Amino acid sequence: MAAEKGATVRTAGGVALMKPSTFQQYKTLLRKDLEQEFRTKEMLTSMGIYALLVIIVYGAALAQTSQTTDILQMSGGLLWALIVFTSLLGLNRSFAHEKEQGCLEGILLVPMDRSVVFLAKATSNLLFLLVVEVVAVPLFYFFFLTTTTPSESFWLLVVPLLVGTVGVAGIGTLLSTITINTRGKDVMLAVLFIPLIFPLLYACVSATTAAIVGAEGYADVMLTSLALAGGYDVIMILVSWVLYDFVISA
Amino acid sequence: MNPVLVEIYSTVAPSMPFIIGAYALMWVAILVYALIIMMGFKKAEKQMAVLEEALAEQQVK
Amino acid sequence: MTETKKTPKLPEAGQWPDRIAPAVLVAGIVLSTIGFLLAFLWASPVNGAAVNGVEMIGGQMVTNVLLLSQKIFYFHMPVAITSFAALGFAGYYAVRFLMTKNRRFDTCSKIAMEVALLFVVCTMITGDLWTRFEWGVWWTWDPRLTTYLILMLIIIAYFILRNAIDEPERRATYGAVLAIIALVDVPICFMVTRLIPSSIHPVVVREGGMSGDMGITLMFCLAGIAMVGFALYRLRFRQVRLAERVEALKEQLED
Repeated sequence: MAAEKGATVRTAGGVALMKPSTFQQYKTLLRKDLEQEFRTKEMLTSMGIYALLVIIVYGAALAQTSQTTDILQMSGGLLWALIVFTSLLGLNRSFAHEKEQGCLEGILLVPMDRSVVFLAKATSNLLFLLVVEVVAVPLFYFFFLTTTTPSESFWLLVVPLLVGTVGVAGIGTLLSTITINTRGKDVMLAVLFIPLIFPLLYACVSATTAAIVGAEGYADVMLTSLALAGGYDVIMILVSWVLYDFVISA
Repeated sequence: MNPVLVEIYSTVAPSMPFIIGAYALMWVAILVYALIIMMGFKKAEKQMAVLEEALAEQQVK
Repeated sequence: MTETKKTPKLPEAGQWPDRIAPAVLVAGIVLSTIGFLLAFLWASPVNGAAVNGVEMIGGQMVTNVLLLSQKIFYFHMPVAITSFAALGFAGYYAVRFLMTKNRRFDTCSKIAMEVALLFVVCTMITGDLWTRFEWGVWWTWDPRLTTYLILMLIIIAYFILRNAIDEPERRATYGAVLAIIALVDVPICFMVTRLIPSSIHPVVVREGGMSGDMGITLMFCLAGIAMVGFALYRLRFRQVRLAERVEALKEQLED
């Protein structure tokens, strides 16, 4: 890993070593994660299957409710519960192989800004989560929303999904880096992740529900919620970015 | 007592247990914390005594 | 707690805050007792729903139901403010720790966190009993309640995290990072739960403004509780420092 992204050697009238730019480092790290995932497909399959299983659990949980129960009102929250639990699983895995193979030590040997590691890891987590959502949301629709008619603004739920996933990936990357070095790390991540993600979850559920139900004045609700969720994203990712250096060097 | 007065004071008696409970539990929580600190002091003192003994033994040798 | 701002000296047991701590503790207890008495004997009661009729009580016309349950508020708000101040100090010491990497600041941060947890629990207790009586429910997802529940969970998570790490260096760093994140997260949480219109629960409107006597009573309680908090912090700090020194001595002796 370290060798792959070492300094590029340029010979122009002698030997000159050129330090790769920050963006190059970022790209290399990101590509490493993606390649690893495409080779094993470990994270994507486990997250996808987990999402399906949560949907099945929902099926059992909602089996006794009447068909006329307002599934539209509930679906925003159910969808986000699905996303939170699925992303917990993914985030837990995201640093596991780095740790097992000693890859993290290799990355840390490279003289570069630590926040690049954060950005690369957060981006790869974001991409994996988005891929899983692309599968999970239609599945959710298929199992729960075909019996009713969601409003015409249904497609707008893409926006809160995107905003929410960015925040989940950002703060989740920092927290999974913290928990990888703790005892009982799987539980630890949940214990830290769920309270810290709560404001984002609240805002996103509100926006998603507004989009699905499409009641009068839904645009206002969505706008407020999305603005708050966006603010959370920006602040939390900035804080994580600044603090990441301390976390990964500890 | 006239009915108006009864109505004016109607929530006072039922709310009493909750008010007393709130104040009592709050101070109990604070006292428990103080107790934990005191126990910590006691423990440290005990360990200090053990250390002194160990030191004395070392000096005898 | 502020002594570190002025001097580069490390906070240590026996410095000036420790010398005044017992006096502060006594003053805090006295002030909060005065506040308690004022709250029940002097501060004007809060009016609830109107009643059919007028009655003279103590030379005043009373046309509303008198709410005694509001007396909880005189202690509820001070403990809430103190808990947040303690969290602020925890965050401040966490930043200091990350800047200096001196473990003393980690100790300070951890203890401030403990005090914050204590007062958050007190806030939850007083707030919840009020909720139970006034709204008739044990729990509702009201912005303030939600924020404090989340705050409590984050602080508990902080201690669980500390317990799950063995290396002291790493424990201190991760603890500091989490303390800072918690400090940032909580205001956002309050904003989010407050600004997003909820379809199920009505927004609780608080009667704005307090009469002068209520304000004075509140000031007494606030000063008292804040002093008790400070004294508890210093007491705990002294105890933890003593334990740390004993540990260090033990290690020296074993060598």
